[in-house]
Amino acid sequence: MADTGQRRDSVPPGARQFVTTRWTIVLTAGRSDTMQARVALEELCQTYWYPLYAYVRRQGHSPEDAQDLTQEFFAKLIAKHYLGDVDRSKGKFRSFLLASLKHFLANEWDKARAQKRGGSQTIVSLDAETRYSLEPADEVSADKIFERRWALTLLDEVLKQLREKYAADGKGKLFEQLKVTLTGERSTIPYAEIGARIGMTEGAVEVAVHRLRQHYRKAVRAEIAETVAGPEEVEEELRYLFAALSL
Amino acid sequence: MTTTRQCPQCGAEMAETAEGLCPACLLKRGMATKTGSGSSGNVPVLEEIAKRFPQLEILELLGAGGMGVVYKARQPQLDRLVALKVLPAEAGRDPAFAERFTREARALAKLSHPNIVGVYDFGQAEGLYYFLMEFVDGANLRQMERAGKLTAAQALAIVPKICDALQYAHDEGVVHRDIKPENILVDKKGRVKIADFGLAKLLGKAQADFTLTGTQQAMGTPHYMAPEQMEKPLSVDHRADIYSLGVVFYEMLTGELPLGRFQPPSAKVHVDVRLDEVVLRSMERDVERRYQHVSEVKTAIERVSVVGAIPQGQISSTPETVARDLLPKLMVTAMAVLMGGLTMAVGVALAVFAILSESPQSGQFWGWMGGAFGCLFGGGGALIGAINSYRQIAGAGDLMTEIGSNWLDRVLGGYALLGGASVVAGVVWSSLGSAGRYSMLLFGVIVVGQSALFWALRRPYRVNQSKE
Repeated sequence: MADTGQRRDSVPPGARQFVTTRWTIVLTAGRSDTMQARVALEELCQTYWYPLYAYVRRQGHSPEDAQDLTQEFFAKLIAKHYLGDVDRSKGKFRSFLLASLKHFLANEWDKARAQKRGGSQTIVSLDAETRYSLEPADEVSADKIFERRWALTLLDEVLKQLREKYAADGKGKLFEQLKVTLTGERSTIPYAEIGARIGMTEGAVEVAVHRLRQHYRKAVRAEIAETVAGPEEVEEELRYLFAALSL
Repeated sequence: MTTTRQCPQCGAEMAETAEGLCPACLLKRGMATKTGSGSSGNVPVLEEIAKRFPQLEILELLGAGGMGVVYKARQPQLDRLVALKVLPAEAGRDPAFAERFTREARALAKLSHPNIVGVYDFGQAEGLYYFLMEFVDGANLRQMERAGKLTAAQALAIVPKICDALQYAHDEGVVHRDIKPENILVDKKGRVKIADFGLAKLLGKAQADFTLTGTQQAMGTPHYMAPEQMEKPLSVDHRADIYSLGVVFYEMLTGELPLGRFQPPSAKVHVDVRLDEVVLRSMERDVERRYQHVSEVKTAIERVSVVGAIPQGQISSTPETVARDLLPKLMVTAMAVLMGGLTMAVGVALAVFAILSESPQSGQFWGWMGGAFGCLFGGGGALIGAINSYRQIAGAGDLMTEIGSNWLDRVLGGYALLGGASVVAGVVWSSLGSAGRYSMLLFGVIVVGQSALFWALRRPYRVNQSKE
């Protein structure tokens, strides 16, 4: 562990925690195509494929083309790992993914179109176009839609994780009722009312809200950490995504 | 199709929602440090601050970090801009803090150096400890790095200034302890200023505060910390700053942090190999083997390259500095064209002479050859020199780029020499008549003059060109 004090994904001695996230696994593997890295990359793609699909569609490709294209891209990415590019990026998974896609579109789509590999894993789900049709019809650029969708995918993922966590503890209903406190301030949400609905005192609700918010914060940061190179980048990514949604 | 609602909380249009919740609000919740609202840990609201500092006009929030919150403010009586740094509220809760604060603040206020952000005032305002400091209108190195506006040449110019500041502080007995790109500011006029001196010690921000969640900003990114600082944070001396400086230097040159088994800078970027030693020795894990004084680092860097122009931040380039660099560039272009052209012309003249003279066949041939080569090399050198200088002038936005690169220098010089030599050779082989003697004299002068000029011009304008 002597050298890990210098590694970006490790936390210094004070915290005594060795953090490995999916993207750091991929980055660390670098040129060597380890099974661990491949699985990590695949899992990341499973979660974040939709923003790419939306990007491709917003670029003007037809639904069929977009489906093929995106699936092909992922197949290639996971199979070949784009090793060289991963090395150099050392940044965030989000930027890496978009950059790789753009590169793919510019250079390789024509060739790949001829020999569709398909890949063993279907990343792009069949209801992609259904989701896309629900996108707001305004003239947001492809890049913008990618960023916004990324932020939303992240949030969806986090909420999903939270719900599952609460459900596993038998508190699924509680989560549904308290969910709204994640965005609202106390004044707008009457704790007493919530308490009445689920049979808890106002004080207990307050405590539960506090706990939920803590779990949420941890989950958001953990999920972002899965896609960046080190803990110091989490804050930056948060702010970036917040800005992406605000504009 | 989709009716856009407005989020009752932030008023943003919710074109898309995450499970019915406003995504912007959700993200904001993810950013907050404490799950409660307001009070300690969070960034105080502007109005709160303004109330506590009635003598200042609080203008805007500049930044927030583990070391406190910084506001841009104005002192109306003095009509000057200042930076108001408010320390985290938790800091004030430690009873021993007050005494430490006064002591440290006094030491910091004594630091008066052009490359150190000056402290105008300090104290306590209703429980919040604060510093009133010089306002630096510019960006920090981190921002410049991100904007892609840091060339190796600029790095080479900035680091000696940092050394000056550090050496001064060390002489005054103050160790910075947190040298990192965020703490090194470059203002619009290109002046380098180091901020947050001694705050790390004052706030006792040792390793204990680094956690993955719960901090507002990457706390003292451990990468810049000397190994001895990580193990025994309280017993470090000024040499820890040297280590941090080495890391920052490396990052400035290569754009990356030196992690694990890292490559020396010259392997990653076009920089002088001798810089490797400077960087590596600064980053020696063994304190005794490191440079023992910052001034040694500065001397080492200065020995590697003599930098002609004053470094400018990439924020803006003033007309005076563009002109200042333009003149020498134009001069050298003109020189290159002149010299090469002269060689070329003389080569042509020689060839003509040889053809027209009554010298023997072989002499004629060699004279002709010499003339042709002189023409070729002289012309080639002139062309390359002119093109290169034009490139530099055209790219004058990047003021730190100096004329030519090492290899180009050599090519130019080589061309010049070859041109002259060819001509001379031609002369020697051609007729030994009076024309030949005069030519020989003339060309000898030209060759020597050219070589001397190129040698002289190389020295102040030798460059370490960075890989963009």
